[in-house]
Amino acid sequence: MPSPYSSTDRQTETMTATLDSTTTQLPPSTHKYADVIHRLEAGGSMLPDTPENLMQIIGIYKAYAVPMDFYWRDLLYIAERVFLDPLPFFKYFLPQEYLDLPNHYAGETADYRVWQKGEASAHPELIEFMQKGEIDKKLPKIFHHLWHDRINMEFAEACMRAMLWHQGMGGRFNDYLESEEYIQNADRAIKAYFKGNPLMLGLYKLFPQMFYEKVRELSYYSNLGLFWEVMAPVFFEMSDRYDAGDFKTVPDAMNFLVNGIFIAAGRPIYHHVYIGDECYEIIPKSKGFMWLYEAALPYVEAVFYRTAPFRGTKSYNAQAKQVPEEQKDFHYGILYADVFPVGTAGIPPTLLMQDMLHFLPPYLVEYYQQYCRGEDDMLIQLGITFQRSMYNVTSAVFQALRVALLYPLDDPNPEHRLKNRQFFEAQLDRFLRPEARLGDIQTQDYR
Amino acid sequence: MPNIVEIAVSNDAFQTLVTAVKVAGLVEALQQPGPLTVFAPNDDAFAKLLPGTVDTLVQNIPQLQRILKYHVVAGRYTTAELKDMDTLTSLEGAPIPVRCGDPFEVKNATVLAADIEASNGVIHVIDTVILMG
Repeated sequence: MPSPYSSTDRQTETMTATLDSTTTQLPPSTHKYADVIHRLEAGGSMLPDTPENLMQIIGIYKAYAVPMDFYWRDLLYIAERVFLDPLPFFKYFLPQEYLDLPNHYAGETADYRVWQKGEASAHPELIEFMQKGEIDKKLPKIFHHLWHDRINMEFAEACMRAMLWHQGMGGRFNDYLESEEYIQNADRAIKAYFKGNPLMLGLYKLFPQMFYEKVRELSYYSNLGLFWEVMAPVFFEMSDRYDAGDFKTVPDAMNFLVNGIFIAAGRPIYHHVYIGDECYEIIPKSKGFMWLYEAALPYVEAVFYRTAPFRGTKSYNAQAKQVPEEQKDFHYGILYADVFPVGTAGIPPTLLMQDMLHFLPPYLVEYYQQYCRGEDDMLIQLGITFQRSMYNVTSAVFQALRVALLYPLDDPNPEHRLKNRQFFEAQLDRFLRPEARLGDIQTQDYR
Repeated sequence: MPNIVEIAVSNDAFQTLVTAVKVAGLVEALQQPGPLTVFAPNDDAFAKLLPGTVDTLVQNIPQLQRILKYHVVAGRYTTAELKDMDTLTSLEGAPIPVRCGDPFEVKNATVLAADIEASNGVIHVIDTVILMG
């Protein structure tokens, strides 16, 4: 399989080579974040290009990729096998089959080998953590589970629910979930799953919509699992390349992400359910749903931007319009998060921070020990690093959309470059509200 | 008069497009009486796509079909008809913005050769593969 390496280099060169021609011919932007706009127009990221930022984001990508390797496997396991189990006590107990499930972007069987050195099965650090947990003792799985000494799968489910709840974020996935064809496919699977179970079949007859809605949720489990299956090897490869000295700048990291987005863009998004020996195609691959349109872009919108207020962090008065009336105006995602109260409340982002804490590379642990309260507030510090890293991922999404839908940065036509600018400005308008952290991440002392 | 497929096959600049259409199983659809309007990316347009994009699409036919269908519109739309239009609806279902002036632009692509007549429609050659969104 070809390596995306050369193209990343090529694109980086193109992007950086355009700086002079782009900025000299258009008048300066008057946007509040004009500096960031100009950086994006020069092929850069919203995150300033400093060695410290690069070290932080790569370190956190690696720490994120290990639990993500669990998340995508378990999301698919729940969507495909646990399915409508009314008492899914063991849904987080990933069977060996799903630990071995070959990632389509790693290992020798890959459709496209993004992670060059990695295997297709579960990451060794993940396997070790699943066996010993934080307490570093091999105990039966049930004890690690009950002690909550495990991967916090609840975080992945919170992201899935954000996608389910917001819906309507582009793509055709959600429309299909409401179609007659989908209902018929779901009906076949429901009847097969509960075959010989008159109680559940009776409930299905009485409350069919409840069952369909549950299947829709499971389709989003599959959607998110297929999305993250791509991102885990992308992040592992970025970490390897940084360690090998191949990434020198933040734009290097961003451009690799852009490349990853294009490699996976056409990947099918589907939902298959395995009941006995039979596969039920609730959303067949033949529907043509694509990773970019039906998974990646809705994910970014739902999780990076919108989500919902987390319980226990702050009280909101909806009557006083402290919560937006329109879902599209929700702004509780990582790009807006105040990490400190979030980090003290034990809610989804904290669960992720806890997961990432277990897999931090040594250089990042040493770094956090030098600042703030050292190990005592490491969850907060790494949460803010995560925020920086997600501004970089969002920058990659902006640049990928610009490549796909607009014009090259060095386009000789000034009207085209103006279109690019209007696109970047429109995106950054979403960060004009006071909760946005774009301004904070411009300096290093935001920790 | 040759049909849309015959014109594409006979032109060396459409080798990638012809291969993609064959892989996607859309040859027959493009030979139907139509009429159809095809925005045909030339080989240079496909070469501009980042590596990996085409590999993934070729492995996944329904997804490839979707991208190709975004380049096709039901009906015969020559530059004369497009002068007063700003959007067409593709066979994929998503809208295609058109600006039929000087230059003649289709979404973020520029038309290199317009109004190539075929027995079952019209072809406009474009310099960029256009994508939904």
